[in-house]
Amino acid sequence: MKTTTGIYQLSLQSKIVLTISSLVALAGFLWPFFYVGNLHWIFVVAIAASAFLLISEVGIGSIDAKSIALLGVMSAFITLLRPLGAGAAGLEPIWFALIIAARVFGPSWGFLLGITSMATSALLTGGVGPWLPYQVFAAGWIGLLAGSLPQRFAGKLIRGAAEKVLLIVVGIFASFAFGILMDLQFWPWVLGSSTQLSYIPGGALSENLTRFTTFHFASSMAWDIPRAILTSVLIAATATPFLRALRRTYFKAAFLTPIEFKSAVHIKN
Amino acid sequence: MITFNSVSLIYPHSLRTVFDNLTFTIDEGEMVLVIGATGSGKSSLLRLINGLVPHHTGGILAGDISVDGISTSLTKPGGLAHLIGIVGQNPAHGFVTDTVEEELVFGMEALNFAPDVMRKRVEEILDLLSLAHLRSRSISTLSGGEQQRVAIGSALVMHPKVLVLDEPTSALDPIAAEEVLSILHRLVHDLGLTVVISEHKLERVIGFADRIIAISADGKTEIDIPEEILKKSAIAPPIVHLARALNLDSVGTSVREVRRMTNHLRDFAPLISQPERVCGETIVAINKLNHVYGEKVALREISLEFKSGEITAVMGRNGAGKSTLFKSIVGFHKSTNGQIKVLGTDPTQLHGRKRLSTIGYIPQEPSDLLIHPSVAKECAASDRDNGLEDGSTFAFLIRLTPTVNPEAHPRDLSEGQRLSLVLALILCSAPDVLIMDEPTRGLDYQAKSLLVDTLVSYARNLGKCVLIATHDVELVAEVADRVVFLADGDVVADGPTLDVLLSSPAFAPQVAKVMSPAPWLTVKDALRGIAQATGKDSNG
Repeated sequence: MKTTTGIYQLSLQSKIVLTISSLVALAGFLWPFFYVGNLHWIFVVAIAASAFLLISEVGIGSIDAKSIALLGVMSAFITLLRPLGAGAAGLEPIWFALIIAARVFGPSWGFLLGITSMATSALLTGGVGPWLPYQVFAAGWIGLLAGSLPQRFAGKLIRGAAEKVLLIVVGIFASFAFGILMDLQFWPWVLGSSTQLSYIPGGALSENLTRFTTFHFASSMAWDIPRAILTSVLIAATATPFLRALRRTYFKAAFLTPIEFKSAVHIKN
Repeated sequence: MITFNSVSLIYPHSLRTVFDNLTFTIDEGEMVLVIGATGSGKSSLLRLINGLVPHHTGGILAGDISVDGISTSLTKPGGLAHLIGIVGQNPAHGFVTDTVEEELVFGMEALNFAPDVMRKRVEEILDLLSLAHLRSRSISTLSGGEQQRVAIGSALVMHPKVLVLDEPTSALDPIAAEEVLSILHRLVHDLGLTVVISEHKLERVIGFADRIIAISADGKTEIDIPEEILKKSAIAPPIVHLARALNLDSVGTSVREVRRMTNHLRDFAPLISQPERVCGETIVAINKLNHVYGEKVALREISLEFKSGEITAVMGRNGAGKSTLFKSIVGFHKSTNGQIKVLGTDPTQLHGRKRLSTIGYIPQEPSDLLIHPSVAKECAASDRDNGLEDGSTFAFLIRLTPTVNPEAHPRDLSEGQRLSLVLALILCSAPDVLIMDEPTRGLDYQAKSLLVDTLVSYARNLGKCVLIATHDVELVAEVADRVVFLADGDVVADGPTLDVLLSSPAFAPQVAKVMSPAPWLTVKDALRGIAQATGKDSNG
């Protein structure tokens, strides 16, 4: 049966591009542990290039008017939220909105929302730089994750308190994961080469891993914990009305509603 | 240009047939008006034309619709974008850019026009709609009429053959509405544009329409010239009601026509038809109120008193200070310079239940007050907030609108039902002063008469003070005892409705224009006045 267009789903081609670019991005995050050589900057270039490739691929893909309208509104909303937290001490009031919206609108759309909201909000907070592609990927992955959570458990819809708990768990996970990823991205550059926690180019994996873990716990716990707490509190406080409003939007937008064209007959029932 | 051939429509999640076997043709260069009660399917009809229904909404469409030879069942709405321009009720909802020029270019950019074509078209539209002096202005600083003109311009710039407008003037003051409609009229006559327009305030558009499509509640649809449709339609402007009440042979669509038909009735000496009203004690006292937004003076040295049992209409252009005045009375502005007392208390000092039982405020967008997911929950919350017995708000609501579904989402109600719900929520605590900002926006005649009855009984029977800000002169003629006219932050007129409305032709209701110089504002007034006069004649 013919229906109205569904909410945005990644096409097979987009999925392939997403997988490849995500692998490149992952390499871009993890290079300090395995790369031996002097061309570190190549990873920064590669991750930026794959971010571009990914955005142009999903942009060219057939995204319909309603999905893009939703994406625009939610990205704008998240973009406005971002300066509120100013990023200080990890107080970033954007993750709860990304997670809740992705939960309602699904993984493909959630991934796009992560990318667009991170990219547009960077323009407001002045955060455009080599770190932006890293942030864009991290946010995209978080949207993808939140959108992929199961809707049903043992045949029953996950709603109400159970859903809230699920989202809070994701929120905490995302807050820490984002912290680790961002540290990975900037650890090799930030400390210079002389400190006890510095990255050792070409050093043993165990040595670098220990140094990174220590660096991460020493430097970022003060960011990750407030980020996790704020995200959890915001999810706990807003999930019920927020989910309700977004689900209503989803219903009103009439995705995948049947359309039938009949020849002129009396259809009175 | 537009052909509907045996069209029937059913929406998903609903069993009601919206249209049943609808067939009509609209020719090139026609201006067709769509009328019908709220919820009868006016917007659906308009959206069928460019295929948004059912391509975006889903639904079963039987029959065939074609526009300029293109069938909407085979072409998606995007494929008709160059052919059909669509303008919504609230232009601000449709704007995507900041300035007038950018907004005009936006649609052409989406359709991949060449830059030199875009440049020429923008200039052409700026001249056509007299927007040249506004070209670099920020859209948010424009008046309602100017914004609506920009919205029409951004649709016209793509050179559509059909322009579809969904209640384009309902948010505008009478003069701005006139400005928009006369531009449409000119486009139809100069460019041969085909225009399909829906509107509740028939008195504004009726004179411009070539034909009318009337949709009745049961899905039956008629298309004919205005005179024929209006002979029997329940939805009709005041002059038509007047013509019917006076048993004239035919109904006229313009003041001029009806005035010629009623020459013999105006020979009577003018009578004072408004009875003197005795008002109670002062409820709201305003003394030398000033309010400034940045550089702009919104209110200047306003001193007014409003009494119990009195309905006052506050009129004036968009931006004249009506909303600011109301917000000050409600107590939203702490920093106002001057003094406001509501029952002797500063309104900013009123809190909790005391506030609920003193001031009831219904903003321009009544759904701003609705925060719960169903009508029943809204009512229950109101019972709790006001300390009323369970179910009393709902009982009040049922009296206003007996058919409302308690499980419905408040935002899914029709405009009329939603206004009833908001009225019930506010009036159940019986506030001493009721303040309404633009209450008739988007209301059909039926919902409007419900509003009139509710307001009149609230003021007269319960002796409360009612303030309404409105552009709707017909509403003012029906309900108001007194009119305060604001211009640029000053009170320029304040007096009985009769005196204020009759002193300015732009703000006179239709019946008054027909019956001038007799001071009759509504059909009821006119009938009573004529009865009195003829009674006197026969006595003398």
